[in-house]
Amino acid sequence: MIYLDNAATSFPKPESVYRSVDEAARWSGNPGRSGHALARRAEREIEATRVRVARFFNAPSPERVIFTLNATDALNMALKGFLQPGDHVVTSCLEHNSVSRPLAALAQRGVTFTKTGCDGEGKVDVEALAAAITPRTRLVVLTWASNVCGTVQPVPEVAEVCRRHRVKLLVDAAQAAGHVPIDVQATGVDMLACSGHKGLLGPPGTGLLLLGADVDVSPLREGGTGVASHLASQPDSYPQRLESGTPNTVGIAGLGAALDFLVQVGIERVFEHERQLIGALWEGLAAVPSVRDCGPSGPDGRVSLLSFNLEGWDPIEVATVLDQSFGICCRAGLHCAPWAHQALGTFPAGTVRFSVSYFNTLDDVEQAVQAVRALAAAGRR
Amino acid sequence: MRHSRYSRQILFPEVGLAGQERLAGSTAVVVGLGALGSGVADLLARAGVGRIRLIDRDYVDESNLGRQTLYDEEDCRQMLPKAVAAARRLREVNSEVEYEPRVQDLNARNVEEAIRGADVVVDGSDNFETRYLLNETCVKQGIPWVYGACVGSVGMSFTVLPGVGPCFRCFVPQSPAPGELPTCDTAGILSPAASAVAALEVAQALRLLLAKADDAVTRLKYVDVWSGELLALALARDPYCPSCVRGEFPYLEGEAGSGTTVMCGRDMVQVVPRVPVSLSLVQVAEKLGRVGAVTCNEFLVRATLEEGVELIVFPDGRALVKGTTRPGVARALYARYLGM
Repeated sequence: MIYLDNAATSFPKPESVYRSVDEAARWSGNPGRSGHALARRAEREIEATRVRVARFFNAPSPERVIFTLNATDALNMALKGFLQPGDHVVTSCLEHNSVSRPLAALAQRGVTFTKTGCDGEGKVDVEALAAAITPRTRLVVLTWASNVCGTVQPVPEVAEVCRRHRVKLLVDAAQAAGHVPIDVQATGVDMLACSGHKGLLGPPGTGLLLLGADVDVSPLREGGTGVASHLASQPDSYPQRLESGTPNTVGIAGLGAALDFLVQVGIERVFEHERQLIGALWEGLAAVPSVRDCGPSGPDGRVSLLSFNLEGWDPIEVATVLDQSFGICCRAGLHCAPWAHQALGTFPAGTVRFSVSYFNTLDDVEQAVQAVRALAAAGRR
Repeated sequence: MRHSRYSRQILFPEVGLAGQERLAGSTAVVVGLGALGSGVADLLARAGVGRIRLIDRDYVDESNLGRQTLYDEEDCRQMLPKAVAAARRLREVNSEVEYEPRVQDLNARNVEEAIRGADVVVDGSDNFETRYLLNETCVKQGIPWVYGACVGSVGMSFTVLPGVGPCFRCFVPQSPAPGELPTCDTAGILSPAASAVAALEVAQALRLLLAKADDAVTRLKYVDVWSGELLALALARDPYCPSCVRGEFPYLEGEAGSGTTVMCGRDMVQVVPRVPVSLSLVQVAEKLGRVGAVTCNEFLVRATLEEGVELIVFPDGRALVKGTTRPGVARALYARYLGM
């Protein structure tokens, strides 16, 4: 089997992640609730991972690293906990529906938003985005890299625009974290949301919300913080303010091991390896006349994913045949981002998406190209 | 209860007044409301069975009108669920009966609740998966059920008396692979065959409800309405039957049976057999070519069937059903054209 669906969730995980998950499942109490050995052990695991996350992204402080269920959860927490009725938001047409749906829900509660466009290669128009900012704008929401076409967005430029207009910036890094180097402070990102189970190579059920020093997010869930039990209402201090109920100790322990792995390998090396794979994939597919890829017009400028269509085939047919006749796992369809497909002209059928990880090889992508070639040949008859 | 409407049935000594009252206090569940289920429900309603639950996942379609006697052109225009259209029609036939229409795709999550309170379950389904599911549920709960099936000019039926006679798994130990057996939608069906089986099924159901069932109901009744051949065969109970002897219920536990995935943002559902099979795409294309426009290559067969519905079949038995987002409808189409 060749796994090319890493943008949905990464597979496999580093060996150390499996070991860490197994150990945490055997040896965890409820962190922060009791003083006994198992509770302390769980707490240590979680706090150590929190520190590692902060270092990995150069976040201002570990206590503003919030563990969430996944990137969708983190985005919902940020959007619904930060925005107030009357606020205006600027966002892009490339967003996942984990952004567009919460915004649609908030629009029912007095929040307004403007969706700005992108160019033919799937890159947002920074000037249009800046021009959309009004005196009521409090937040800009942008994906670091589109989950549909993979295009890396000009986050530093957008952060600069936000700084100039005194507007906060929330970045959805679901497809960037673990694939490209991210420095939250140097870039000027106020809130960063990502999953732990994609590029970060952690287990499912883990996600992150990183908060800058001067943003406040109200909790959507209350109670079960384990600390300050005497208080009638949710504590104000982070991370407890946003972490209610027993945490996913097992998943977080796995995420900690995954971050160790990424640090050990080096994010630059991961990036370089994946760039090579995607480059080879792009070259191979570009040589198939009936392939229409989307996103950047060359091999670079994208994260570790590539979307395309094959003339005469529904993308879901392509993915199904790749799975059963070639043992290649990939995803087809809208990838939960209908806006992006409308902007890129691939709505409603969507695209076929190949996405690689550090564990894929050149041989994997060559086989994928060969399979697509076989399909293209079959389609012609 | 107005006795006059049942007077001829009451005259039949095995029914009588007491029997008629017994029927009025009974509950029958009809699973599947195609040709067979239409006939079954109609006969049960006219016989005065007090409560009839009508279960089907599908919607009335023009191709049903030729033999599914409960539906008319208006139901088809309104694209009514079969269960709703059937209940509406049957209320006009016999308003004394309480009808419970359910638009439902029976599966491991809902089947136990769906047949709760039934005195008898009568099979109007068109696929093995539903029958195994019914068999396991009925065996487990000790509810008798009447199996019935027909294709072409032949049909058959027998009653499963849990713990007493053979169960459906004793009779068909293993589900045939998709595409292996003919279905009414690929090989055709003669309406009288469905009527004959419906009559056989309801006669057995009435015996059960009247507490007058004996070994005769557990015999396999076989009928060929074209040649006029009729047979009744004693079936043996499998001493090692996984279902009725060993108490294993893989369909009810959700371990067996096909799965569906609604494709994100698309008017499309993927149906996947739980155990991959190996289909001959040439045969599938040939079969589907009789009922629609077909194109194929070495990887798949695309068939445009009814208006707006496209079926894309892959060699491992997987199929994409285009033109619906309802898993039940997709499974119904799969069952009709490929068999499940």
